[in-house]
Amino acid sequence: MGSCTKCGNPNVIIKRKASGQALCKDCFIESIEKKVKQTIKKEKFLEKGDKVLVALSGGKDSVVTLEILNSYVKRHIIELCAVTIDEGIAGYREEGVEIAKAHAERLGIPHKVVSFKESFGIDLDEIMKREGHRGSCTYCGVFRRWIINRAAREFGATKIATGHNLDDETQAILMNYLEGNMENLATIGPKTESNSEMFTVKIKPLREIPEKEIGLYALAKGLDIHLAGCPYAQESFRMEISNILKDLSKDHPTIMYSTLRGFDKIRPALRQELAHDYEYDRCERCGEPSSNRLCRACTFLEELGK
Amino acid sequence: MSFTLKIKDKVEEREINGELTIKDLLDDLDLSSETMVAKKNGEIVIEEESIEDGDAIEFIQIIYGG
Repeated sequence: MGSCTKCGNPNVIIKRKASGQALCKDCFIESIEKKVKQTIKKEKFLEKGDKVLVALSGGKDSVVTLEILNSYVKRHIIELCAVTIDEGIAGYREEGVEIAKAHAERLGIPHKVVSFKESFGIDLDEIMKREGHRGSCTYCGVFRRWIINRAAREFGATKIATGHNLDDETQAILMNYLEGNMENLATIGPKTESNSEMFTVKIKPLREIPEKEIGLYALAKGLDIHLAGCPYAQESFRMEISNILKDLSKDHPTIMYSTLRGFDKIRPALRQELAHDYEYDRCERCGEPSSNRLCRACTFLEELGK
Repeated sequence: MSFTLKIKDKVEEREINGELTIKDLLDDLDLSSETMVAKKNGEIVIEEESIEDGDAIEFIQIIYGG
């Protein structure tokens, strides 16, 4: 069955089809941490003195992001803080919130839990009972971004770290390309680049790590993670693309890496051609940055009568 | 010859007839190795790992749709 390619340990926990490597637990953990640190260095994600806000759901991606970034705290390079969003999904969100709280406490990281209810006067379960709603993911994405941006300013954070992984990135690239959303495609990247000081820079330390390896890393390290599917998850275009990529990866195990690598090469040209910096003003209702009279969150809230 | 299989909170005893690997078991149950991690007697194992009499196997779903 083979032994660890690096140290010869016979207890292998992964065989990477993409590289042919077989790794034991310790060498696998080391390889993930090394790769994330290489991405952080290559993309110049962190500067000494940064205060990084982690969007911490309690799921594998955000917990692993927090765990690896914490090694920079130990070396006195950055400070960390974390925000967990309670969307108000009964029977699902509670466990994630408790796991997130426990990790923040374990690592001594300042942490706050912010709910949709306290921020907007309505939670996701209530929204989903309304007639003619726009679909759960639409509200969730917009409202979460609103809370995260605000939390970053309240914490005085200089960066926001999210748990986007290789699967998320390649799905987004393919989805936007196939749908012809070239302007959205041009905005995908390792970090957000806006000329507005109203936005905190967002970074994606895990963007070169496959989703499955993030889960495996969490289990190998014995990290408690929230393992559950969102009850509002539905058949979506993203899910179809995700299935296509997973199927393709069986016989072409490097396909997600090459998709991302190729995209990163054409990204500067795409940005030059297609990306434009919007003129931001403030939302009339909430004061958050917006290129329109109302930001997206407030547009939705007005529709909901909130 | 039998082993126990745990998925989430459900534990069941299953018979072994001949050679059986983690991959065979995942295929039998129509589960994807792309979304599951397998543990044998508490340790993470790869798909080629064989299952023997008395083993405790656990499948942990680490990727959910949505």
